[in-house]
Amino acid sequence: MTALPKLEDLEDKSFDPFMVEKLSTGNCPDPYPRIHELRQQGPVVEGSYRKNFTDVPDVQMGHLPQVMVLGYDAVLHVLTHPEVFRNKEAFAPNLGRSFGNTITVMDAPEHTRFRKIFQKAFLPNVVTKWGETVVDPVVNRLMDGFIATGEADLIEQFTHHYPFQVIYAQVELDPAQAPVFHKLAIAQILSSIGAPQGPEASGKLGAFFAELLRQKRANPGTDLISHLATVEADGERLPDDVLISFLRQLMNAGGDTTFRGTSVLLTGLLTHPEQLRAVSEDRSLIPAAIDEALRWEGPVTSTFRYCAQDTEIQGHPIKAGTFVNTVLASANRDPAKFENPDAFNIFRKNTVRHLAFASGPHLCIGQHLARVEMTRALNAILDRLPNLRLDPDKPAPAITGHLLRVPEHLWVKFDRA
Amino acid sequence: MKKWMCMNCGWIYEQELGDPIGGIAPGTAWEDIPEDWKCPDCGSLKSEFEMEEV
Ligand code: HEM
Ligand SMILES: [Zn+2]
Repeated sequence: MTALPKLEDLEDKSFDPFMVEKLSTGNCPDPYPRIHELRQQGPVVEGSYRKNFTDVPDVQMGHLPQVMVLGYDAVLHVLTHPEVFRNKEAFAPNLGRSFGNTITVMDAPEHTRFRKIFQKAFLPNVVTKWGETVVDPVVNRLMDGFIATGEADLIEQFTHHYPFQVIYAQVELDPAQAPVFHKLAIAQILSSIGAPQGPEASGKLGAFFAELLRQKRANPGTDLISHLATVEADGERLPDDVLISFLRQLMNAGGDTTFRGTSVLLTGLLTHPEQLRAVSEDRSLIPAAIDEALRWEGPVTSTFRYCAQDTEIQGHPIKAGTFVNTVLASANRDPAKFENPDAFNIFRKNTVRHLAFASGPHLCIGQHLARVEMTRALNAILDRLPNLRLDPDKPAPAITGHLLRVPEHLWVKFDRA
Repeated sequence: MKKWMCMNCGWIYEQELGDPIGGIAPGTAWEDIPEDWKCPDCGSLKSEFEMEEV
């Protein structure tokens, strides 16, 4: 067996990307009152979403002409008209710099071609199998760490780790390298605030994945990387730069989001004990609970598109060359579609789908995996932590941030096994 | 069981459920869905769907 490639740490060992990350997601306790105000101004409002919530400058997008698109119908319109509202120009200056030529930075026909190949590895029938083989062992190992104590911080001790460990398992990472891997993955995103550690981290992860791919092609196994390294469509393999960029993006797109999605799911249920009890007694409610958590506090509150031609939305003009903050959170709390939209209620009867995974061609490729992960995590918590409740002696959980929202702690008590 | 799946996003068409929001009544057979119908999640055309074992 060949040794797996080694990862190189950042030059500056004291650099803490997690601190810098906090700066860019902010500590806004509740952006929703402001989001409602903005939506009431109309479906198209001048300016940047982020500027409403933080003074930390956005060095890559801040100076560009931009509007916010708000409300369910307007947001859905943007997401489902990709020929007008493009990804390439919207993401090349930020995500593209961090990760490279990923599918997020592509439009049709390039996007269509590569997306289908990647999606094959993440279809529901494929990821369901990972539930048992990959997700459950990670979930159980983490829970073993605190189950005997009768109390835990479910963020620090559970949700902040498990989706990342699922990814490590899929890329067969040496556990000793996990801390550096996580650090580099977060550091990559800092290209968006101009930190030099951003490109350094992207380069180091890229070198690691290039070597991993070389090894897997020489000696393919049944793992995800081997699959992606050898899969063919129309007789053609995925080009290395596209594949490496996808792997670079995975920690951020699949880890940071699922960590937060699971955290808000647990927060919603624990702060609504009658709903927690209902789900605990009837597990067929889990899919509704997951969808309601993602509607209520979707981790991705806003995404970008680039308006490629003069157009209008509900009679409101948008000029070619404008960057469009597509505020998913305003769609998911639009009172025209969701009654009493600010309430967490797993029993609501929806007539439309929430947009926490977006819509249109760039709809989250990992949504089936995210659902499997969240389902497995919630089931394990309900099975193994009887009489689960918030710890009355600790502060109540507070979801914060204007983007990638999450509570910092979720202190709970439960009956010891 | 064999079902029709969108190859761009993994959405699965279930005949019993149909796609009421998209104008397809519950019980509609796959063959009877019009060609201009689109995947409710990602907007791909019917032609992007494939029969899959699920
Ligand atoms: C609760 C968890 C998750 C949420 C809320 C979420 C949310 C989203 C959203 C909103 C988009 C669309 C972005 C845009 O078009 O602007 C997206 C795309 C994407 N997601 Fe997720 N995601 C989650 C989990 C995952 C997982 C587990 C993976 C791992 C495979 C993943 C991989 C991706 C990728 C690769 C894209 C880009 C797709 C494309 O551009 O065609 N996501 N996600
Ligand atoms: Zn689809």
